[in-house]
Amino acid sequence: MEKEKISGIQLFLLLLGFLFGSTVILGPAMGAKNDAWLAIILGGATGVLLMQVYVAISLLNPSKALVDILREKMGKVAGNIIAILYIWYFIHLASLVLRDFGEFICTVTFPETPMVVVIAIFAFILVYAVNSGIEVLGRLGELLVPIIPLVTLIISLSIITVRDFTAFLPVLENGMSPVLKAAFNFVTFPFGETIAFLMLFPHLNKKDKLKNVVFLSAVTSTIVVIIVFFRDIIVLGSDLMSRSTFTPHLSSLLIPGLNIEPLIDINLLIGGGIKISVCIYAAARALSQITGIDDYRKLTGAIATFCVVLSIWGFGNVLELFIWSEKVWPYYSFPFQIAIPLLLLLLSLIKKGKSPNAGTKK
Amino acid sequence: MAIVLAVFAVLIFYDLKEFIRKKEPARVFVIYFLFMAASLAVSLLLAAGRRPSSPAQWIEALLKMIGVMQ
Repeated sequence: MEKEKISGIQLFLLLLGFLFGSTVILGPAMGAKNDAWLAIILGGATGVLLMQVYVAISLLNPSKALVDILREKMGKVAGNIIAILYIWYFIHLASLVLRDFGEFICTVTFPETPMVVVIAIFAFILVYAVNSGIEVLGRLGELLVPIIPLVTLIISLSIITVRDFTAFLPVLENGMSPVLKAAFNFVTFPFGETIAFLMLFPHLNKKDKLKNVVFLSAVTSTIVVIIVFFRDIIVLGSDLMSRSTFTPHLSSLLIPGLNIEPLIDINLLIGGGIKISVCIYAAARALSQITGIDDYRKLTGAIATFCVVLSIWGFGNVLELFIWSEKVWPYYSFPFQIAIPLLLLLLSLIKKGKSPNAGTKK
Repeated sequence: MAIVLAVFAVLIFYDLKEFIRKKEPARVFVIYFLFMAASLAVSLLLAAGRRPSSPAQWIEALLKMIGVMQ
């Protein structure tokens, strides 16, 4: 049993912060241009289902984290190998979010500051948060994540005078294909990334709330992303929106007589911070479980250092990062986010069926 | 280059001090140095302006090789 516990509302807000993550500055599903709202709805619905798969895995294996489940269902050798791949995946995900953060801050806020300095300082603060434990992360989420939808609302209301409500028309101008592709991208970024929460679900104090908490967080984040999309498209128009790098930032610049740019920075600091913290926590926790180290905190510093280096090493510039994220990330993520979890669910259901206590309440 | 070495020296010194004081098992040292050595090696190469091919490129090449991507 896990000693540290978080409440349902804390998990809800952590999930919400994680799902907002980089999406608050990037604007997901942009590949579908003015049909992105359709892709967001389709991807959101699939994302909700995918997250329910993760919930089902966790409920079928109570009090067990991802590494324990992998070892139990796939055997010690195969389980450990896949767990190591997951550790790599969490580290890589953390490094990508760090790079998103660095690119945004160095493009928009601190253009003269070297990116590595921005990323390293951010990572240093996050290591402190992760080392404080999951309960502190939960309370941090409780305190900070409500600011994200609030900021979104402030920006949306501030630019209500600048609009073209027909900007998202015509519907399905380029057919269904780009919509489906963008919807798949939206499933893998950010919904599928919540696979990292399989390391956190055992900390929830009331397991019966898990299903509702996850469902609500996925639905809320989809609604906010749709609001952000409509806000951006009615302000910027389809063409400018598809060509801009940081769409929500560009929208915030159009507010007449007011500079609320830093609010976007705050959103990214909170959302990105929670996402990176969860990834580093998941990686350190999984690694400590595999190697039999009693405390994950001994590894967070080294893992975070590697994440910082990986974030700089990964891509030469922001365009390389965006192209890779759009073209490669969904296929690279598929086994981690969809194939292995579905296999785990199947194995868990088979085991539950075989168990002599199946169907009886303990 | 010197800044990179100095930063890593400070980080390693700070953590090592804690590990020795708490008499951590050898596997903690091994994993810690594995990550730090990899980070230091890549950092030095980046500082020298010789960016090695990145994991993102390896992943892309792997996906192309197995026919997932065009």
